[in-house]
Amino acid sequence: MAAISHIDPKEALAVKARVEQLSFYYGDAQALNRVSLDLAERRITALIGASGCGKSTFLRCFNRLHDLYPESRYEGQILLKPDDINIISKAVDPLEVRLRIGMVFQKPNPFPKTIFENVAYGLKVRGVRDRHFIEERVEGALRQASLWAETRDRLQDSAMTLSGGQQQRLCIARALAPQPELLLLDEPTSALDPIATANIEELLSELKEQVTILIVTHNMQQAARVSDFTAFMHLGELVEFGDTDTVFTTPRQKKTEDYITGRYG
Amino acid sequence: MDTRSLSQHISHEYNQELEAVRSQLLSMGGLVEQQINQALQALVEGDSQLAETVVQTDDRVNQMEITIDEECSRILARRQPAASDLRLVIAIIKASTDLERMGDEAQKIGHLAVSLAGQDRPSGGYREIDQLGQAVQAMVRSALDAFARLEVDTALRIIREDKLINREYEAIARQCIDYMMEDPHRVRRVLDSMWAARSLERIGDHAKNLCEYVIYLVHGKDVRHGNLDAAERELLQQ
Amino acid sequence: MARLRARSRRGPAQSHNPMPEAAISEALARRKRRDGWFALAGLLIMLAAVLTLVLLLAQLLVDGLPRLSLEFFVEFPSRFPQRAGIYSAWIGTLLVMLVTAFVAVPLGVAAGLYLEEYARRNWLTDLIEINVSNLAGVPSIIYGLLALGLFVNRFSLGQSIAAAGLTLALLIIPVVIVATREAIRAVPRNMREAAYAMGTTQWQMVAHHVLPYSTGSILTGIIIGLSRAIGETAPVITIGALTFIAFLPEAPIGGEFPYINFNWLDAPFTLLPIQIFNWLSRPQTEFHANAAAAALVLIALTLCMNATAIYLRYRYRRRVQW
Repeated sequence: MAAISHIDPKEALAVKARVEQLSFYYGDAQALNRVSLDLAERRITALIGASGCGKSTFLRCFNRLHDLYPESRYEGQILLKPDDINIISKAVDPLEVRLRIGMVFQKPNPFPKTIFENVAYGLKVRGVRDRHFIEERVEGALRQASLWAETRDRLQDSAMTLSGGQQQRLCIARALAPQPELLLLDEPTSALDPIATANIEELLSELKEQVTILIVTHNMQQAARVSDFTAFMHLGELVEFGDTDTVFTTPRQKKTEDYITGRYG
Repeated sequence: MDTRSLSQHISHEYNQELEAVRSQLLSMGGLVEQQINQALQALVEGDSQLAETVVQTDDRVNQMEITIDEECSRILARRQPAASDLRLVIAIIKASTDLERMGDEAQKIGHLAVSLAGQDRPSGGYREIDQLGQAVQAMVRSALDAFARLEVDTALRIIREDKLINREYEAIARQCIDYMMEDPHRVRRVLDSMWAARSLERIGDHAKNLCEYVIYLVHGKDVRHGNLDAAERELLQQ
Repeated sequence: MARLRARSRRGPAQSHNPMPEAAISEALARRKRRDGWFALAGLLIMLAAVLTLVLLLAQLLVDGLPRLSLEFFVEFPSRFPQRAGIYSAWIGTLLVMLVTAFVAVPLGVAAGLYLEEYARRNWLTDLIEINVSNLAGVPSIIYGLLALGLFVNRFSLGQSIAAAGLTLALLIIPVVIVATREAIRAVPRNMREAAYAMGTTQWQMVAHHVLPYSTGSILTGIIIGLSRAIGETAPVITIGALTFIAFLPEAPIGGEFPYINFNWLDAPFTLLPIQIFNWLSRPQTEFHANAAAAALVLIALTLCMNATAIYLRYRYRRRVQW
């Protein structure tokens, strides 16, 4: 069963990242088995699948978060365009990868600092000192995250005073401030109410003009609503990858069909 | 996809809802089929009482269309069906429209039958219309079977058969024009029978639509307005 | 009960109800009574403990309060109970605590940070970890013996403030290490991942996140450690603290250049607990009143430190919530 892993060439989309035969192991346990797919530049790619299918594991390979924990092992490659650097190679410093790729987590996790400090943090880490530049970037990122209007008068308040949905948008702004090439989102709305979720989804479709997005979601309808491409994973393997319209109306694989229609496969 | 897959959802209620709306559509199909049979019989035998029954049945058919559409929009709103379920619901919505139109055509034939029963009968009865009617009936029955059993082969065969029906209708129409030129006194009767033939032909078209929905339902392929041969080749390859 | 009924209303399940209503409420009442008995027993035991403490405190107050006056704080010990004070004792306690804090805090926090953030998990760190937890439970006299051999004799610090400070530092370093590790461990994993995902280095992680977020708990641990050290007698006696000091060490901050000196480190000293111990061992009952008064001061000091710890914890908790 060969899942079609490459983007349909007739769409003529630029590729932002090419994953080739990616396998991942936690110690002896294999969590990903030779996954290959392309991420289209300035498009949203959604990863769906049941809990434990490896979709979050896959996402976290992109900024080497697995390196924080011992006994993790990558095989294969993830080539980040345009320079074709293999971001999971041992020779590449995970810090460099993380500086190029932003991430937003499942639970909103702003730092217990002020709103301003949160958004400016990525620049601080990079050693940027130009106050004027930092202020500009903070405002830009907050605007990108549709949070500027709500926070412009309270930038010095603790980020903890924001609501859950605002906190998650703050985390998006924090990830955007250093202008990443790729934005990873790990179930970004699973802790939010439907209105906050709709706001984030709207935000994502605006953001894709500027940045390539890879999103993991439990919510199939969310994948159907926001993404341009959908990858369905099952037990650490990529079962199907294609444009979202096709995957949600006429999936090729029975497993995909069973999953998205709520059947027991 | 096959018929069994309807019953494999994790949600038992969802299974029942989809199954219920599907069988409603099939019983609506049964009703329309019966309506067509009776209309044809009334026309051929000049039975105006039977024709009245046909006309009245149409209310029930219309009511069924409304019920099915309501049920489908409820499923869309509450279950957000995807993939084959989505295609099933859409196919049912479209099929119910076509069935309702078939019912309307049968009703028209019923009205014409009442009108024709009051006029003198032609010497050969309505043999050509009867033949056309039998063929259309067979087509409707097969189309509903194909829908019930999700048989793509049958559906493809019927889509092709529709061309024969159309040709037969053309022949009847030409004949009618001849009759009208021969004897202007019979124009009223000939026009009525031509309208009846026209309605039968339309029923055939709707049956063909049903078959196209079957293919969409099973393969997610839209074969309307396209080259059927190319589509068929593609389907055979899969 | 309402839920039980709601469920049984649904269908034929009613007939499957294994217990009649009366039996259910009987069983429930029995279980509630048992609950009540336990709560009562707990309350009595707690009252007994608190009451003992209150009685002890009351006894101290009755004995010591009349002796508490300003002179008591600025008089040196004396042969005459009425003229004796705790001047040298509380100054000594203060200076020794200063040394203890200066030594134990950096060492303890650094060790905790290293063990929690940097050290790889292997048999060596496991060994260190077990040792640290055990050290926190070693009787304090053992520290005194160690300090006697090490600081007093080997390093020739003598019976000085420095030796005492180092001894007590040794005593509380495990406490500070454990507190630091607990505090660091309380920084949630998602906060770490958030920081690492921004591309922080390990040091940025510690400096920007781990330490700021755990300051409250670490401070609390330090103060708890110090308030333990402040009441310690055994190890200080072991290294030979004097019990009768009628002079103060040289002041650390002077009027002449270089304004700060460290001569006081070398000075002999006495401490509040030792002063108390000394007075208690006198035959005259008037000295016992002095001891009670000094004990009150010691208790007040400890309570103040604990109150500070609680306040800090409260303040930082409010600032940092996950």
